[in-house]
Parts: sequence; structure tokens; C-alpha cells
Amino acid sequence: MREQVAELIYKSFLTLDDLDFAGYINLCHADFNYKIGAYSPEIRKQMTWLEESRDSMKLLFESLPKHNSDHSRLSRLGNVYLMNKESNGDWSALTFLQVFRTSLDGGASELFAIGKIKDTIREADGGLKLLNRDIQLETRMFGFGHHIPF
Amino acid sequence: MAKTAKEWIKTPPFPTSHFVDSRIYTDETLFKEEQEKIFNKSWIIACHESELPGAYDYRTFSHPGGAPLIIVKGEDLKIRTFYNICPHRGNTLLYDPVGNAKRITCIFHAWMFDTKGNCVEISRSKQGYQDRYTCENASLREVRTEIGYGGFVWVNVDDNACTLKEYIGDSMSMLEEQLSMPLEVFHYHKAIVDTNYKLWHDTNSEFYHDYMHYFNRATGMMQPGYFDRKYTGYPNGHASVGSMEIKYDAYQGSKARSVGWPGLAPGGWVLIDIFPGMTFNLRTSVLRMDTAIPLGPNKLIIEFRGLGLKSDTPEQRAERIRDHNFIWGPFGRNLHEDLLGVYGQGKAMREGTDSKWVIHGREENSTIHDEVGMRHFYAEWSKKMNRPAFNPLGDNKLTQAA
Repeated sequence: MREQVAELIYKSFLTLDDLDFAGYINLCHADFNYKIGAYSPEIRKQMTWLEESRDSMKLLFESLPKHNSDHSRLSRLGNVYLMNKESNGDWSALTFLQVFRTSLDGGASELFAIGKIKDTIREADGGLKLLNRDIQLETRMFGFGHHIPF
Repeated sequence: MAKTAKEWIKTPPFPTSHFVDSRIYTDETLFKEEQEKIFNKSWIIACHESELPGAYDYRTFSHPGGAPLIIVKGEDLKIRTFYNICPHRGNTLLYDPVGNAKRITCIFHAWMFDTKGNCVEISRSKQGYQDRYTCENASLREVRTEIGYGGFVWVNVDDNACTLKEYIGDSMSMLEEQLSMPLEVFHYHKAIVDTNYKLWHDTNSEFYHDYMHYFNRATGMMQPGYFDRKYTGYPNGHASVGSMEIKYDAYQGSKARSVGWPGLAPGGWVLIDIFPGMTFNLRTSVLRMDTAIPLGPNKLIIEFRGLGLKSDTPEQRAERIRDHNFIWGPFGRNLHEDLLGVYGQGKAMREGTDSKWVIHGREENSTIHDEVGMRHFYAEWSKKMNRPAFNPLGDNKLTQAA
């Protein structure tokens, strides 16, 4: 089962890398919650930059073609550091995340962001689904940024 | 028909107030001059008072004129600003962007300063300097500091500058009531972009670029009242833009904002640009403050702050944070588009690209798609630089009556 949990996490990266948003949403539980943020030492506060449900994440993805966005490819590299089966049967996992951005013109890759992901994974519909994803970034500067979260 | 090389550089068919030479965005000499004549003479926002909650709390700030600064709250709770430079060997005094320091101690030779800028200790002073140099000689360089217009900490490195009130004049009058209660910063991030600071301020000075934002087209441009919003120019290059009722729920996934702002009509949106690179952007439930800090003619740091009311309940604050980040957070719908826009300008205008003119020619009775906001800015820029923005280096031969 540990391998399946890790595989689900890696699949979530691969689907987003491939802009397979429907594939990503399909990995999410109906009660999915997504949060991404960072701690700002400058203002001594935790910041939450996005907080989404499965439905609102789906809407976010669906709205992307209507927006002007940088089309550089993002590649997510994760290492699952810790994994634990909780007393209620859910799995929790801590993953170290690196995100690389590769330019379309010339293909130069650069480190775009690093952070840690806390996932809660639940068995549902005969498989494993992402129930909660909480991304705590170390990186707080993204240049001109990106529309697609990690 | 596309243009020939000669036609490309031909003067645009507008008055000279309605276009600028793109070298004002790229020329190194002009940039150095801007630091001296504009940034080192202007009141600049360094941080917000809520970032210095207690005695001895400090923030550092890279002043766009070049000087590294420390902003510190003293034991007397007064906020003062000093150069972040040790008068001994020129070392940086405080390395971290934030902290608490009853004594500001240089790590190099342990010289110590209090929060009023007095030197309080020179290590082995008598042995080395005898009576030739004492703490009296070693004070920090203080920078004029005022708190105002929503609790922001403003600094001016020119000892002879006018007061902040004189500098701002009536330009902040549209937000007087809205900024009269204590505010608190809940969001801070920076972006470094290869572009010129004026291009960012231009983006904040015109709404014609709402064509770039699907969110703004749906919630603003398609709604009644949008084309009635008016620009007002004020002395010293500041400008404001009047309000309308934004229909946030016209964008799928967004919803009408349930938390408002005292003194602002529901769905209201007021924007005030302060010369040379600061923008107050109060959009219904949140105040965004941009501070442009140029690092060179084609490199810019923008500091983004999001603010709510200090009196917010946790629920209100959470709502403001969501509202802010939906469009203005690092993954928000609008911010990435704005940054992409000025990055593209920086890329196309960098030195040697044969970019020639930037046009600010729209006239629509000072309403929302009029480019009068930018014209107002460049009139002030030209005055302060003593160089016309359409011919900053004096070598443009106007190729037609303008």
C-alpha cells in the first residue's frame, strides 16, 4: 500500500506537468481541499495564497485558456520523505517538492520553487484519492509568476 | 501596410505630450539621473507600521535611490530611519529583513548604536582613537520619516524636501475616510522582473490594459459604470481613478464579496498612483500597495502588500485574504498577467531592439481608457528630469509636426 500512496503523489505531479487537469482532478477525493502558501519572515505571518476545493480547482483549470499565461513548462520533482497510516485508515505523507521551469524558447531549465507538501490520502471508490494537500513553500519570489499552482 | 525603417522611427502623429522615447526605459545614464533627481527627492513608502508592532522592532529597506535603510521603532515607540551602513568600515549593520534590536551592533567590530541613531559604544575606543574620535563622531545617518495615509512608513533621503503632506497634497482625498482606521499587512511578496519601473507604474496608471485581464473584462468592463470612471491628476505627478461597482460573480468561480470596507460603496474600487512608483489599490475588501524599487533601467523589484483592517475578526480576515489572492496573489488571475505584460515590454524595449516610441495618445474625456494618467506622470517626470520624455537625450529630430 505504501507504494500505491507514493505512486498517487507522483501521479499528481505528472498529471499537472502534462497539463492533464482532468487527470489531476480524477486523483482527488470529492471532499478534496487544496492549500498553498508560505511564511513571510518580512511581515512575520503565514500567508495562504490559494485555498481550493475539488470543484473550485476544476474551475480554476477550466478558466486558464481565457487568461494570458506564461506557457513555460513546469516539472515537479518530489521525494516522499515520510508516510504514515493514521488510526482512521487515512494515509499521511510528507513530500519535498522541487519545481523546475523550462523555457519554450531554447529550453533552459531553472529551479522555480521549493517547498514541502503534506498530503492526506483516503481509500475511496476502490482506490486511493487525495483528500487534503497542503503545500508550504520556501520560495516566495517567482519573477513574472505562473497561473498553474503546484 | 507594414512600415519601413524610416517610417518606424517617424514621430507619432500626436502632440509631444502624448508619446515618449522608449530610451527613457532603457538608458543607464537616465536611470542614474532618475535616482538622483526623482527617487532621492521623493517620499517613498518603506513599510507599514504594522510590520513594527513593538519597541525595537526593525525592518530593512532598499531605497530606490540606492541607500540601504533600517526602519526601527524606538523605546519611545517613535519610528525612525537610518542608513544601514556602519560609519566605521561601511559594513551592513542589520542583515535580516526584520528583527528586534535594542542595540544595533555591527558584527564586524562590535560598534553599537541605539534606536535613535546614537553611537553608544566603540570597542576599545580610548586605546585606538584616544580623544580624536568618539561616539559623538559616529552617529548613524538619519533619514526623514513620516507615518501617514493608512499607517505607511514614508521616508525621504533629502533633508530639505517638503513635508509628506505637502508632497501628497489632495491626491489621497478619495481614500481619506477609508484609510483613517488602523490597518494591518497580511500579505507580502516581491517580484523581480526585467523591466523598467515606469512601465509597472504605467500599468497601474491606465485601465485600457483591462483587455489583458479576462477577470476585469467580465467583472468590470462589461458592467455599467465602467466607462464613467475618471482620472484626476494632482500636483507632483500623482493621480486617482474613481470607483464603480465591480460584479465579482460575473467571473465563474468568483463570488460577490461579502466583506466590504468602511466608507467604500459595495463592490467599489478606488486606485491612487503616487509618483514615482507607488499605488494604493483599494478593491472592495482589500487594500493592495505596490512599491516599485528599480535595480537598474531594466530590472525592477516590486513589493506587493495586502492589507485589511486591524479590527478584523478571523473570519473577515480570511475572506479578505481569499479576495486578495484570487486575483493578486502569486497564483492569482490578474497579477501574473500584469507581470507578464511589463516583462514583455522590457524584453521588446531592451537596448538595441530599435524600439522607438511608446504612445500615450488616447483621449476619452479623462475616463477609464484615456491615457491621461500616464501623460500626467510623464509631465512631472520631464519637469523633474529637466528633459522632455519625448526627446530625453536631445537628439530626436521630429519628423513631422507634432
